[in-house]
This record gives sequence, structure tokens and C-alpha cells, in this order.
Amino acid sequence: MTKRIDRRVMLRALIVLVIAVAAFIALGASGSPAIASTTDTVVAHSAALSNEAPSALTQDTTTVHATADTESSGVGDNRYVQQFINGIVFGLLLALASVGLSLIYGTTGLSNFAHGEQVSLGALLTFFFASKQEVSLPFLPVEFSIGWPLLPSALAAIAISAGTGWLQDRYLWSPLRRRRVSIVQQMIVSIGLSLAMLNFIQWWFGAERKRLTTSIDTRLDLGLFSIGQTTIWSVLIALVCLGGVGYFLLKTRTGRATRAVSDNPALASASGIRVEKVVRLVWIMATGLAAVGGILLALYDNAAAFDVGARLLLLMFAAVTLGGLGQAFGALVGSLVIGVAVEMSTLWIGTDLKYAVALAILILVLLVRPQGILGRAERVG
Amino acid sequence: MTDAPVIVDADDLYAGYLPGIDILNGCSMRVQEGELIGIIGPNGAGKSTFLKALFGLVPIRSGSVTLGDEDITNMRADELVKRGIGFVPQTNNVFPSLTVLENLEMGTYQRPKAFKAQWERIGELFPKLVDRRDQRAGSLSGGERQMVAMARALMMDPKVLLLDEPSAGLSPDRQDETFVRTREINRTGVTVIMVEQNARRCLQICDRGYVLDQGTTAYTASGQELLKDPKVIELYLGTLGA
Ligand SMILES: Nc1ncnc2c1ncn2[C@@H]1O[C@H](COP(=O)(O)OP(=O)(O)OP(=O)(O)O)[C@@H](O)[C@H]1O
Ligand SMILES: [Mg+2]
Repeated sequence: MTKRIDRRVMLRALIVLVIAVAAFIALGASGSPAIASTTDTVVAHSAALSNEAPSALTQDTTTVHATADTESSGVGDNRYVQQFINGIVFGLLLALASVGLSLIYGTTGLSNFAHGEQVSLGALLTFFFASKQEVSLPFLPVEFSIGWPLLPSALAAIAISAGTGWLQDRYLWSPLRRRRVSIVQQMIVSIGLSLAMLNFIQWWFGAERKRLTTSIDTRLDLGLFSIGQTTIWSVLIALVCLGGVGYFLLKTRTGRATRAVSDNPALASASGIRVEKVVRLVWIMATGLAAVGGILLALYDNAAAFDVGARLLLLMFAAVTLGGLGQAFGALVGSLVIGVAVEMSTLWIGTDLKYAVALAILILVLLVRPQGILGRAERVG
Repeated sequence: MTDAPVIVDADDLYAGYLPGIDILNGCSMRVQEGELIGIIGPNGAGKSTFLKALFGLVPIRSGSVTLGDEDITNMRADELVKRGIGFVPQTNNVFPSLTVLENLEMGTYQRPKAFKAQWERIGELFPKLVDRRDQRAGSLSGGERQMVAMARALMMDPKVLLLDEPSAGLSPDRQDETFVRTREINRTGVTVIMVEQNARRCLQICDRGYVLDQGTTAYTASGQELLKDPKVIELYLGTLGA
């Protein structure tokens, strides 16, 4: 994966994107008054204090931010540009969450269904540390409040999440691999783990949406679109993290070894690479990044519930598959395409159809390019 | 046989991929330092499995492998690399999404400081790879991939080199080149154990040959003797063009 691929590949992604956008404009011509129907969520959303009304739970997460943006951006703004920007933002945050999924798939072959819960965990652990309300630990009857500022809370949440990645690989995935448990069986274990974690998180934090906001929350009006200050910071953080992953994979020795393991683990170990060590590192990175993604998405939505990750999981899989399974940069490209497509589609069709839109894009792209946008058709023989 | 010390001693190996199914049943091989060993045998005899078992990629169920005086049975591949064993697999022997240069870098993964010097040395041996260094290995031709695979193993500067059909898929002149090169590498003091389909060429250049059939090392003799052995001729060399 070098500099050469990028131009061709970006061009490809761009073409796909343009086609997708065109398809939705065409779809929109057939008309569907979706926007009006979604506005009332915002009220409920901003009115609620720390624990939102459980009814908000049934609302889709992107509904909330999509409308939050349209609401506060004044009249005369370009809705198309606005939704496009929202899509890019959402895509970048989605990429943070899904890049780890892609790395794990690449190095171990596992489709980790529990990755969504890692996203939720990051967001809710941040809430745990930052909340001024009473919180409690699982199994302990004492209630207390920590109330740290956001940054240290987030850092602690990321560290703990990364720790769960280490723990999982050390005591679960690595032993399964050593016993040569098949990939399908491992995948089923991950589905079970996903449900277990989902229930655990719900039991710990409850089913309500937890509010997560920053103090800097003014919106900047940039003519064609407006953007919240928190969002700008989120985008910057996402870019730094994704850039960091790219730098790691392309420019560091361990990163190149990671790509080598993705290509061919047996040959990697025959080259003297300690494959298990690389995989352990990948798990730590993947879960850490999922936490960052979860936190930023929660800030973007101003709240997080125990099932944010579970709701995102399908979009994450779509993004990873779309970009090219196992291609770390594919996750980024795929996420951007999905993000933009999903957000733009809300201009014409209901947000409830978000997954349908993602699925349609996924199928369209796979029909044209079965290996995904960045995936390469390997030569046979 | 000379009286050089034994470097690799595989004793009565039983090994296989799936539980309960042994592919190797009673393989033994004793290799002296500096020897060039050829392994021939029919398809599916277990030749590749034998090399993989030596290299810790297939679990050995009984028997032992020693390197010098150290027991290396079932040792992890990366530990074996550290001890100076290099392996070029028969298939999937490059990292397709890595560039040629990155592929070779993986050869010195454990000794990054040695990379520069080794790259210059190997570059002289394979000038073509220097031109192609930024190309993805997945886009190389089969022969070029074989070159990358061999070069990657040589980057480690191994004491013992295991080669699995290095001439497979090459044009006749390239095959010759591979055999000559293998011989050259061997002359620099590297012990080479190579599996070959091209039995005649292999036996011509090797010091000693092993015939592996149905998971057992059937017999061994010097390359020249095997070339003249009527049974070997009938079973493995073919009578055409003899
Ligand atoms: N990964 C694997 N899993 C299960 N069985 C395998 C595997 N690889 C090889 N085998 C089996 O082991 C036996 C020996 O295979 P091996 O590759 O060692 O043969 P070989 O002598 O190298 O043949 P060839 O000349 O065709 O390369 C075969 O019957 C094959 O089916
Ligand atoms: Mg073979």
C-alpha cells in the first residue's frame, strides 16, 4: 500500500461518491417529505437534562444530530452543502470506530461483532468519569460521583477500553486461535460477546441516553454551512488519530509488520515477526480507537446510550466491506462514503431508512467492484 | 559424507495438520554443515509438510529436531529465524500488498540495523529487484515473486536455508539460474535443504538426495548415486530423455 495507489483509489472513491449522490438526487425527485417529520426530536433532546426521556431511545442517533444541525443553521444556508459536511463529519467519526474492525479482520480474519460495544463502552465510560451525577460500579452498592473534566475522563475511558482489548485478546481470542478454532466459530463467539457486553453495559448504565456535552458549543456560520465548535475539534481529533494510524501502518516498522501479518501470517512468522504480539497490539489499538470514535460520536450527538455501538455496527461493517475488507484505509474511504450517503439521503428520504441506504450503496459498489473500493483482486495462481 | 558436524538432525518425525491424521510418519534426516540436500518425491508425499514441520509451522507429534546441540522441536518460527533458519515456502511466499523493498525489510525484521548492508548485498544478487523496489509484490510475475521470496529469506543471512520448489513455474533458463544461484549460496557456507520437482536438475547439483514417499524418507544417497539408481529413475526421473 503506497503512494501510488492513492490517486487512483481516491478517484475511484470519488466516482462512487458522485454516483451515490446523483442516485439520491434522482431518488429525491420522486419525492419524500422526510425532513419535516424529524424536527420534533430536537426539542425533547435539548430539554432533557442528564437522563433523557427513555422515549428518545427509540429515535435514531443520526436523526438527532442531523436535525440539530439543520435547526441551528440559519435560513439561506445551503442544505445540500450542510448535509454533505455533516456526512463528512459523521463519516470521519464512523471511520474512527471502524478502522479497528478492519485491522482486526485483516490480521486475524475475525469479523468482530462485539466491536460496536467497544464504541458504546468508550462513550459511557467517559460519562462515568465526567458526570456530576451519582454513578456506581457494577456489583458495588455504593454510589459516588467523580465529575472529572472531559479531557481526563475521555483519556481514562480510552485507556480502559484499550485495556479491554488487551484483556480480550490475552484471555479469549489468542487461546481460541492457538487451539485453531475456526473463524466461523470465533465469529459466533464474538456475537455472543457482543450480546453479553450489550446487556452488561445496559445493566451498568441503564437504558436512558446519557448526556455528554462540552462547554465550548457555539456554532460558527461559514456562509454555505455552519458547524459547531465541538464538531470542529472532533474532526481535528479524528483526523489526527486516522493520520496516526496511517503513519503507523506505512512508516513504522511495526506498522509494516502489521500489514505483513494481514497479508500472510504464516510467512510473517517465517520472517521472524512475532505474529501474536502484533495481533495483541492491533486489539489494543482497535479497541482504543473505537473508544475515541464512541466519545466523539457521543459529543456530536450530545448524548450516548448503551446501544449506540450496536446501532452503528451495521454501518461499520458496511463501511469496512465497502472500502475493501481488511484494508485499513478502506475503512476510512468506506466510512466517508457511507457517512455522506446516509446524511445526504436524509434530504430526500426518512432517516429511518438509514440502513437501507447504506445497504443499497454497499450492494451497488460490490456489484461493480466485488473486492471493495480499495480491495485488490489478487491474482489467482 | 564428509566429517563436518551435523547441523540439522530430524529424527523419526510424525506430524500432520489435523488431529489424528499423520502426514509424516517416520521421517528422518541428518544434515551436515555446508551440505546441499535435495528432497524429491511424488506429489502429496509430504515434502512441503516436512519442511514446514522442521520450521515449526506444522505441529510435530513425535520425534525430535535438533539444530547443532539444541532441541528445536516445535519451536516457534520466529525463534527459529533468530537461530538462523530461513524458509521459502512453496506457495504464498511474498507479502502481496507490501512493496518489494518492504518485503525484503521483513526479512531483517529482527535485526533492523542490518537492513541497509543486506539490501546492498542482495541487490547485487538480484539487480532486477532493485529496479522494482517500490512495486507491490502482488503485481509481480510468478518468477519475480520467487526472486522476492528467495531474497527475503537471504536477507536474514541464514545458516540453514529451507527452499520449497524454488524453480516451480519458471522458464527453463530461469530454472537453471535458480539452481546455479542456490549452489552459489550454498558455496558461501549456507546449508541448504531444497525440495524439488525437477528431480534430475536437483540431484545433479546437490551433495545428497532424499527420496520421500508417503510420509517416510524412503532412502538417501549422494545425488550422483540416486541419478543412476534404476528404481529412482523409474519412479521419479522418468525414462524419457534420460
Ligand atoms: N494445510 C493443510 N491442511 C490439511 N492437509 C494438508 C495441508 N497441506 C497439505 N496437506 C496434506 O498433506 C499431504 C502432503 O502434502 P504436501 O504439501 O506436504 O505434499 P508435497 O510432497 O509437498 O506435494 P507437492 O509435490 O505437490 O508439493 C497431502 O495429502 C495434503 O492433502
Ligand atoms: Mg510441496
